[in-house]
Amino acid sequence: MEEKAASDNPQKTFTCQLCSLTSPFTYYGQKPPNTRAIVLLEECFITKDPFSPDREKFLVLGSICSLCGTYVCVGSDCSLFYTKRFCMQCVNKHLDQFPHQIQVELAKKKQSAKAAVS
Amino acid sequence: MASEKRSWDWGSSQCRAQLDEIFFREHDYIQAGSSEHKEFWAFFERFQRFKTKRDMSGAEIRKEDKDKGRDRGKVDLGLPKEYDARYRINVSVCTRDIEERMGKSEHRSRQRSSGPGAQEVSDCRLALLHFLDFSQKQSFGKLAKLRREQKNLPIFQYRDRIVELVRLHPVVVVAGDTGCGKSTQVPQYLLSAGFNNIACTQPRRIACISLAKRVSFESLNQYGSKVGYQIRFETSRTATTKLLFLTEGLLLRQIQQDSTLARYQVVIVDEVHERHLHCDFLLGVLRSLLADRPDLRLILMSATINIKLFSNYFSGAPVLQVPGRLFPIQVIYQPIPPEEQSSKSEKLDPRPYLRILQGIDQRYPPEERGDLLLFLSGVAEISTIQEACQIYATHTRRWIILTLHSTLSIAQQDKVFDIAPPGVRKCIISTNIAETSVTIDGVRFVVDSGKVKEMSFDPKAKMQRLQEFWISRASSEQRKGRAGRTGPGVCYRLYSESDYNAFAPYPVPEIHRVALDSLILQMKSMSLGDPLSFVFIDPPPAASIQNAVFYLKEQGALDSRGELTSIGSLLAQLPVDVVIGKMLVLGCLFNLVEPVLTVAAALSVQSPFLRSSQHNPDCATARQPLHSNQGDPFTLLNTFNAWVEVKRERGGGSRKWCRRRGLEEQRLYEMVNLRRQFKDLLRSHSLLESEDSTPSGGDRVQRRERLTERRKLHQLKRDHEQQEGSKRKVLKLEEGQEGDFSSGSDTEETGRSKRNKEGSGQNLDIQEVKFKLRHNVSELQEAVSQDLSSHQQALLKLLLCRGLYPQLALPDEHNSTRKDSDQVFHTRNKQGVVIHPTSVFASDPEVLQVPEGDTGEMGPDRRDSTKHQLLAFVTLLETNKPYLSNCVRVPALQALLLVANTVDTNADCTRLVVDGWLELELKEPEEALKVLSTALTLRAEWERLLQAQLGQNSTGGAAVGQGVSRRVVQKLSESLVRFLLYTEVSYSLRRLSAFQTQNLYIGPQLESVLSNTKAGDLNPLFPGAEAKPDPIKGGLRVTNFFTYNCLADSKDLYSECLRTFWSCPNCDLYMPLTPLERMHHETSCRPAGEQQQPEEGREFLLYRTLIGLTRALGHILYFRRDKEFHTKCECVYQLCVFLFCILFQSQKVEKQALHQCRALPEFITVMCAIKT
Repeated sequence: MEEKAASDNPQKTFTCQLCSLTSPFTYYGQKPPNTRAIVLLEECFITKDPFSPDREKFLVLGSICSLCGTYVCVGSDCSLFYTKRFCMQCVNKHLDQFPHQIQVELAKKKQSAKAAVS
Repeated sequence: MASEKRSWDWGSSQCRAQLDEIFFREHDYIQAGSSEHKEFWAFFERFQRFKTKRDMSGAEIRKEDKDKGRDRGKVDLGLPKEYDARYRINVSVCTRDIEERMGKSEHRSRQRSSGPGAQEVSDCRLALLHFLDFSQKQSFGKLAKLRREQKNLPIFQYRDRIVELVRLHPVVVVAGDTGCGKSTQVPQYLLSAGFNNIACTQPRRIACISLAKRVSFESLNQYGSKVGYQIRFETSRTATTKLLFLTEGLLLRQIQQDSTLARYQVVIVDEVHERHLHCDFLLGVLRSLLADRPDLRLILMSATINIKLFSNYFSGAPVLQVPGRLFPIQVIYQPIPPEEQSSKSEKLDPRPYLRILQGIDQRYPPEERGDLLLFLSGVAEISTIQEACQIYATHTRRWIILTLHSTLSIAQQDKVFDIAPPGVRKCIISTNIAETSVTIDGVRFVVDSGKVKEMSFDPKAKMQRLQEFWISRASSEQRKGRAGRTGPGVCYRLYSESDYNAFAPYPVPEIHRVALDSLILQMKSMSLGDPLSFVFIDPPPAASIQNAVFYLKEQGALDSRGELTSIGSLLAQLPVDVVIGKMLVLGCLFNLVEPVLTVAAALSVQSPFLRSSQHNPDCATARQPLHSNQGDPFTLLNTFNAWVEVKRERGGGSRKWCRRRGLEEQRLYEMVNLRRQFKDLLRSHSLLESEDSTPSGGDRVQRRERLTERRKLHQLKRDHEQQEGSKRKVLKLEEGQEGDFSSGSDTEETGRSKRNKEGSGQNLDIQEVKFKLRHNVSELQEAVSQDLSSHQQALLKLLLCRGLYPQLALPDEHNSTRKDSDQVFHTRNKQGVVIHPTSVFASDPEVLQVPEGDTGEMGPDRRDSTKHQLLAFVTLLETNKPYLSNCVRVPALQALLLVANTVDTNADCTRLVVDGWLELELKEPEEALKVLSTALTLRAEWERLLQAQLGQNSTGGAAVGQGVSRRVVQKLSESLVRFLLYTEVSYSLRRLSAFQTQNLYIGPQLESVLSNTKAGDLNPLFPGAEAKPDPIKGGLRVTNFFTYNCLADSKDLYSECLRTFWSCPNCDLYMPLTPLERMHHETSCRPAGEQQQPEEGREFLLYRTLIGLTRALGHILYFRRDKEFHTKCECVYQLCVFLFCILFQSQKVEKQALHQCRALPEFITVMCAIKT
């Protein structure tokens, strides 16, 4: 507990601007450490996967919406990746440009969410 | 397709291996052989199946997709025209380099190749991408769920407020009921607010571990090893630990070592409302510590019980109250009708309980889930109700009856967490253990008997007492709350509302109920001043503190001024009962460390012998060889050693071995851990030599083997930890029924051979894994394997007895005429106690009785024998009767003389009174003297060695062998054993009556009477002894425990001056001596061989002359009773004796003695002339 140096290191925290999910991240970019052949197709906020028994696995927390620049988590309520990251607000705005599959999927989800509320 | 041509088979392991070469190489993100790798191939199969299915039905969709034009002219997102699930994945895998390399090699040897073609590689890559995406989604889902749950906790709203309060105030009270999340969240809030070095105490060890795990998990292990726990045997703490969960006792120990607690910035004391002894004390210590540490932040966390008390104690500390999260609970008062109330001696009437089960069956449909939790006061009550409920359950097939109390085996306790099959409810019949310590989810109904059994301490009888009480309103609410954890619930109270209102508001805090010995000892060692003036949150009664001080003095931990003795300060460091600590220290001196460690450990944990198996004849037979009629500690020792032996031979097979004998293996694991801790403690106090711990020597191969094994074990442990929690079983309807241990009926032999064949066995015994990780079984076995010789056994008994002293019990004189089950014993403070049925002596009481043939005179009040015995016991606990537990038998006279705090005698030492309650009468004065003086010598030597060892440890550093020579110890232990085993003195043993105790001593005497005695006082024969007249008892205080001739019934006050002829067996001395002189001489006269005989010449002549002279003078003194002459001769005589001494003893005596003999200066001159 005597170590001071480690604690001086300010913590970098990622917060989703839509759902306010907050979590510290260890890396931002496309090439997380120890991933070898794996490359991300967008710049992401990344932490070590706390649920993997293997400490070396990474977990993408979120990234930035390619349209509006909002920080969004990768949760399906907040954002969607389709060649690029889109926050849900932008997706809804440009829903028509998305392929049919995605539109159907989103409509279904909306419905089930409504059902759950009522 | 290419794959077909080359007969590519996805299922073939060879084909897969080729792809592994590309995607899962040694340094890749996922490596071949890892668990993810396995998961991938499983995923792959599912994925392929899914693809084929979609390919068949999916063509249309794709077409539809194509039809859709992109016409609106808004922002063009530039999305691909054709949908592909691939576009939804934000990961790519670049393996071009290897593919190329592979391609080249393929090019070179196209013929033999059946390697993957481009199609296979891309199929695999796509699957891998989906797999990665899938695992990302899975993990993120968990994270999101976790965050959601955290946010939903009632305490989340107060997050900033808490941090702010802690910043502003040195002490903050956070009060919140079950389920508000304080224990897990508050430490995290503080961590993320930038606080460091946080300690969070818990009353229970298990909570430390589970909280550390939970918090570490919730904070996503972002702190890595920074969240840890520390409990008695285990710690996960490292140098980087920022948040540490630890027990209250442990934090106190840390304060003991570092009085400012500099290592912590924040201390959180959780569950303060439970008011455990350690917690109350800890609060007191922290309160005074705050003055020295203004920067320290203290947070008390409590249920919403008596919050004012805590706030006021810390001069009005701010309180933050957080609502709990409980579902509504309906309370139904159903007082037991008078005709169904049972008196104290009767069994509980089960009818009120059965009615509730019936009522639930009538009112609630079986498909509505929800279990029942029933609170009773004790184990006997539980089994009564269980029996009745079981019949009902078997009949209705709608209930599974389970019990929960601390004496159950771990496996049985664990059952309460399993799930009942549909349409069936669990009925858990529990003690108050389920009130706070054990939380069971899914409980919808609570039945509260309103009773609890609580331990209290009776200082007058020095006895613990387990009594039934009404619970407090706070407990009552706590019990009720158990029904509303997972949904709305019902609480049936088997008392009336007016009863409830009459309950005490809170339970009696522990500090008011228990013996405070350990607490006071710890306070002394922390130099907290007078315990009576210490500011406790709720001070214990002064008498209770005084009692503890008195007891500690009796134990030798405090001296007469109430200061710590050297042994006392050591005992304060040991986290065990004072008596157990004493045993350990004593064991170190003699070569009996290993058995003493085992016994001390065994006596500090619950008994491994399961009560439920006691009446099982198979268990009884299997246990038989473990029994020792020397006493329960020896049975425990045998059991432990046998278990270690089994462990070494067949590892995990010990589980079955234990089951057959009705042993709870968990206790044995606890013992082995505790034993290890004791050993480490003794080493760290330099009472034990530290072993050169090169495990199993320098053999490199062996070492490597051990290393590989350890790695494997660690892996097993990790695997187990991962699976943990996800293994709730579904109960079978028959589960609750009796005959649980019949599972041990498949015999051990078949069990063993099975295991041998299978190797590790199918179901992992995690305890065995942990055991192997922690202990080297062959080393352990070596340490404990040697059977005790009868000599060692005798010595061990003595050590146990000295440790346990003054916890001694005397068999009643009429026991031989009583039934086995009616044997009665008496302790000093409590008459008429019985032996607990679990003790060896309960089944074999004859060994305690004086053999018939041995008794000399038979009379109503006097039975002489050489074989009287006493019981030394660990606990005296009153439940329905006062019971002695964990007893060991010791020879009465010898043990008493060697360990008792006070031994008083009459003039010829034929009557001894020990500790003012036991009277021993010896027939032969000659024998009496001999026994007494041997005991004095042995005790003096024992004490000397012990002090030497303790003194040495306080100066630190040196190991045993140096200060206290082995040879000397060996000699002492031999003499002790000889004394214990071969003292053949006939005596009677009885308790003194109250009247006799009142008139025991002659009291202080007049000068004239003492004049003669004074001569004894001046006796230079006992160098260093300060024999002084005892101011209260009268007589002469010879040593700190022995007072000579102070007993009131001495036939003749002058008899102490009576001399009888006696020849010293060691030197040639033959002369008339008073009993005291004789003892003094014996103490100082070393047996032949230890002393140097003056051999030749002048010295030898002088020696002879002196002997002659003394003898002559002795004769005169003996026969001439003329008083004046007597006085003169006495002095001459003394002088002679003194000179005689000079020849053999140190010169120091000389001056002192000369001074004392000033009455007759002329003689001095003469004698001095002789001397020179």
